[in-house]
Amino acid sequence: MSLNTLVTAAIAVTTLGLSATAHAGKTLDAVKARGQLVCGVNTSGPGFSNADSQGKWSGLDVDFCRAVAAAVLKDADKVKYVPLNSQQRFASLQAGEIDVLSRNSTWTLTRDASLGVVFTGINYYDGQGFMVPKKLKIDSAKKMNGVTMCVQAGTTSEKNVADYFAANGMKYKSVVFDTAEAITSAFFAGRCQVYTTDMSDLAGARTKAPKADDYVILPQVISKEPLGASVRRGDDEWFQIVRWTQFALLEAEEEGLTQANVDQQKASNKDPAVQRFLGVSEDTGKLLGLDAEWAYRIVKQVGNYGESFERNLGLKSPLSLPRGVNNLWTKGGLMYAPPIR
Amino acid sequence: MSAAATGDAAWRARRRARLLREGLLQGAVALVVVALLVGLAQNVAANLEARQIKSGFGFLRDPAGFNIGELLFEYDARDSYLRAFAVGMANTLRVSIAGIVLASALGVIVGLMRLSHHALLSGLGGAYVEVFRNTPLLIQLLAIYLLATELLPDSAAALSLEGVALLSKQGLQIAVPASGTHALFGAGASGLVAGAAVFVAARRWLTVGAGLVGGGAGVLVALLAWLSFGVVGGWSRPELDGFLISGGASLTPEFLALWLGLSLFTSASIAELVRAGALAVPIGQWNAALALGLRRGQAMAGVIFPQALRLAIPPLASQYMNLIKNSSLAVVIGYPDLVSIANTSINQNGQALEVIVIIMAVYLSLNLVVAVVMGLVNARVTRAPR
Repeated sequence: MSLNTLVTAAIAVTTLGLSATAHAGKTLDAVKARGQLVCGVNTSGPGFSNADSQGKWSGLDVDFCRAVAAAVLKDADKVKYVPLNSQQRFASLQAGEIDVLSRNSTWTLTRDASLGVVFTGINYYDGQGFMVPKKLKIDSAKKMNGVTMCVQAGTTSEKNVADYFAANGMKYKSVVFDTAEAITSAFFAGRCQVYTTDMSDLAGARTKAPKADDYVILPQVISKEPLGASVRRGDDEWFQIVRWTQFALLEAEEEGLTQANVDQQKASNKDPAVQRFLGVSEDTGKLLGLDAEWAYRIVKQVGNYGESFERNLGLKSPLSLPRGVNNLWTKGGLMYAPPIR
Repeated sequence: MSAAATGDAAWRARRRARLLREGLLQGAVALVVVALLVGLAQNVAANLEARQIKSGFGFLRDPAGFNIGELLFEYDARDSYLRAFAVGMANTLRVSIAGIVLASALGVIVGLMRLSHHALLSGLGGAYVEVFRNTPLLIQLLAIYLLATELLPDSAAALSLEGVALLSKQGLQIAVPASGTHALFGAGASGLVAGAAVFVAARRWLTVGAGLVGGGAGVLVALLAWLSFGVVGGWSRPELDGFLISGGASLTPEFLALWLGLSLFTSASIAELVRAGALAVPIGQWNAALALGLRRGQAMAGVIFPQALRLAIPPLASQYMNLIKNSSLAVVIGYPDLVSIANTSINQNGQALEVIVIIMAVYLSLNLVVAVVMGLVNARVTRAPR
């Protein structure tokens, strides 16, 4: 929307033009002084970040914000959520409006190397797919020659789908909308025959269809979309805290620590790795500029990665996504945390 | 020092002093403005550098990598950002020009309706103006677009005027001569020639309306020529081919909704300009025209309307400029105009500042062109003494 462009422009001009010096390094101090973490999230991404009717945020990305707040501010609730659409997100981070961007964003070389932001890790391995109405009887992405396709502006999907159709010698017409809401309403009204975006988003959008059973998600995955959080460049201390928050979530799952059992485990488990992780035997937090119990609080207040996944995306949630490649490496997935020691 | 100069010499001295003072003052102001701009630009550059954000316009030559739904000329994802911006600008121009034409026509009609003595006509005109002028354009666009996409049938069950036109969620497809652009150019050229000839001939015995007659004849001849291209060379007819409707020329629902929305919204303001212009012509002009035996229609066309134009043209220019700028709302209904392409580009390469500079430069130059053209028109209609 032109409004977004204006917002982007306003942010860029005011912050880049008027701030006297580029600030670097002191995000942790600023967050502590403020007593609140400012976290950029998706305006509407079921399963990742979604506000309910009471304005309470939930989702995998929201849990990540909460985990950072638990580690840094000792309280997972001390988060201010800033909903951002896809064009605003990096400008908002560059400009210092938010401390962390946790908004299902794909990690790519261009973004990592040229936007003044740096990705801290991957919290969801996604891929781009297609959703079609059942009545069109399309069962494979290869049979889509000539379709009209709804795509969201300012996403990696726009490029991927162009590549995929060119590689397969097929043609399509794109209709590009500004927001996910505009796309879903146009798609469910029948303006486009295909809706393409990340698989997890498709599953979320399908839950909003008038009749979810009228739509199918095709099996083909046409791209790698590793989603993760990012921070501003130039503050290595803050970068490490955010990166290791994700690792702590994974490590907790690997050690079998859950929200429910962490207190009991802290008291009784004699495994040195667990004792170190929970800050009983060693102070790993000191190295990050935090206290000894940073990881304990993450598990206690937010839960481990697996719990967060099941709560927001898993088979018992409305999205009912299988764990798949997002399982731990010990269970055949790709989720792997370096040792916390 | 001699005694104070007198007469012309004193005047010249005072004038020199005044010019010097003014020159210095203006120079100082200009210097401050330039210094501010340079300072701002340097600060932006330094901050971009410090935050390691890539900058510069070099990206325009890189391949864009994304697809665009509506094209006026060849483009594919391997083409450069520059070409993508050109496609966007062409789409903006297309909807703006179509919008200006339709808004002007509707505006004049509704404006004249409001001036009518028939209660029904003026009432309808009034309702039209109040409805379209007093609701936000954004809402009108969304309403038109949602109605179109909800109500129109799927492409498989398109409303069909056999072999000539198809109307569906894919838009409006009409049959066109198979020779495509040749037919368009041929028709345009013959229309121009015929129109000019009729205009020159008509000017001999018509004092008013020669332009109208010439224009009408031109359009008619162009249409006939275009049709005859189709009759001779065969037609390209829209047909459902798999998922796509192929053949013919197509107008997408996005274009139609934007075109209609912009035209309706702007025409309401233009109608008011027409009415204001006509009412501002002194009543004596009406009386004189009627006293000379002209009928009301003749008096309006020959006496009042030309004078009303003089008052209406400067504000009309701003309405046209507003229409061009409002076309950037395209992005909410998925029409790929300049702003929509720019939005996509910003996210592909992250160079928000550069892209926004491009958008502003394009809109500024489009509107400057409108300003110049309307200035010329204004000079033409105000040439006669008031």
